[in-house]
Formats: sequence, C-alpha cells, structure tokens
Amino acid sequence: MTQSPRKTSKSKSLSASFVARVGLMAALALIFSYVEAIIPYNPGVPGIKLGIANVVTVVALYKFGSKDAVAVSIIRVVLAGLLFNGLFGMLYALAGAVVSLTGMIFLKKTGLFSVTGVSMAAGVLHNLGQLLVAAALIEDLRIFFYFPVLMFSGIAAGILVGIASTLALRALR
Amino acid sequence: MKQFIRKADIILFIVLVIIGLAASAALTLSHGEAGSSAKVIIESGGDLYARYPLAEDRTVVVPAPKQVASDAPAADPDDAPSAQYDYYNVVVISGGTVSVSEASCKNQVCVKHGAISRPGESIVCLPNRLVVRIENGSEEGGGYDSVTS
Repeated sequence: MTQSPRKTSKSKSLSASFVARVGLMAALALIFSYVEAIIPYNPGVPGIKLGIANVVTVVALYKFGSKDAVAVSIIRVVLAGLLFNGLFGMLYALAGAVVSLTGMIFLKKTGLFSVTGVSMAAGVLHNLGQLLVAAALIEDLRIFFYFPVLMFSGIAAGILVGIASTLALRALR
Repeated sequence: MKQFIRKADIILFIVLVIIGLAASAALTLSHGEAGSSAKVIIESGGDLYARYPLAEDRTVVVPAPKQVASDAPAADPDDAPSAQYDYYNVVVISGGTVSVSEASCKNQVCVKHGAISRPGESIVCLPNRLVVRIENGSEEGGGYDSVTS
C-alpha cells in the first residue's frame, strides 16, 4: 500500500541493467556448461557432475539477489538443455535447479551459513531433485539406490563450487 | 568478507553425511532383495523364451529347443506337460520364488536346485538348455539406459 511508484514499476518490469546483467551471467554460465559437457570424464556412476556453471548461480545470488540467481539458472538450464543435454536432460536439470535454488534462497535467508555451506546444500538438493524426477519418469523407486552416491557427490561438488564462488565473490567485491 | 566455513556449515555437513551413510547402510542391508519389478527371465537354447514378473504366480511349461521345430504344441494347454512335449521343463513362479517343478531330463538337477528368489540367482537345466534367472529391473532387464544430471 505504501509502496512508492518507482518501487512498483521496478518490480513489475525488467530494468535494462537487470536484463543486461542476467544475459551476461547466463552466457557465462552457458559457457561453463559447455566446457563441462565436452570434458571427457567418466566417474563410473551416471549423474555425478561438478556443475561449474553453478558458480555463476551462487555468485548471482550473493552479489545481486535471488531474482538474478533464478533468472540466470533457468535460462542456463533451458539453453544448455536445448544445446547439449536434450529434452530429458533439461527436465532433470530443471528439477534440480528449482529444488536447489529454493534451498539456497532459504538457507541464505537464515544467515547462518557461509557461501560454501549454502552451495553444499544446493549440490545435495540439486541431485535430490533430479532423483525425484528420475523416479517419477522411470516409475521405479529402486532408483533411490543412487541416493547415497548422489548425496556424497552432491556434497563434494557443492563444497568445491562453494569455494570457487567464495573466491569469485572476493575478487568481485 | 565472508569466511569459507562457519559453524553451521560443519553441522550441516555432518547431518548430510550421516543421512548419506544411513541411506547407504539401509540400502546395503536390503541389498539383494528382489524389488517389486523383479523379472523372471526364461531362456531356452540360449534365446529369450519369456519374461514374467516375479510377483505374479504362474506355472509355465517351457519346451526344450531340440523338439520345437518338429513338434507343434498340443491344442489343449490343460494337458499334462508330458503330453505336449517330449522335452520340457515346468517353471513355477509362486510367492516371489521360482523353481522348476518338473523336467524331462534324467538328472533332475534343476528340480533339485530348489527355489530361487533373489536377483542374480539362476536355475540351469543343461540337457534342455534352459536357464531361469531373476533380474531386478526395468523393461529390458538391463538396468537403466542412462541417468543424466
């Protein structure tokens, strides 16, 4: 009710700086996705991935806020899906992104966790979201045999991404 | 600016690791149990003969390949197996276990083998070139095609 007109218009429409910023970060994240897609490494179990592109998401969250992080993440996932991962890969990644973004925004709001901690939780949540979609698609709950593996790989990848994000945020300060 | 790691991070880390360990422990304990979608695979003469869900009770008469070419199945499926085929095995799926209840062969190894119930177990009848095994699994019995992240 007491919102100023300026504030209202800011939240309703996308400002030019927001569009430019998000476009830039989405492009950067897409490059990271691409680099990761062309690195030939096979950890033995499907689903284990570092997720370097999430550095951009984490930086966007801490530097510019949740709106930027959500926008960058969704754009990146959709584009990477269309370019490299295919439609089903996109569906998995989208689920992971939504779950991990929700978790990250929530954990950041609590103010208890460092960037590394938030990223670690995001890594785990990302894998969990994917697992839920996979279970729904395959209609077979025994896919949860993957759960511990994805749990630990999510922790590890999340910590690494978190450390990289912390360094990036320090450099960007 | 921000530290790399805070106290809450460590607590979260420990909680997550415990959840992971508990999940893997739970899965290890239940490992080997046939899932609800476990399949009974029957191979005859090296080829897939039939695939049935382990959960559904049924009795199947499997003709041995050495007479399949010459011998058409009898019209009445209610006939005794020996009336339909010269060489055969009777595979019984019952209550989550699989056994061979009857066989035309002399050694009866497959019948004496008893029942199997876990994924990976198998019953083999060499004279009739029959393999019965249990697989966990998705449609083709070969696990998942791929899981992406």
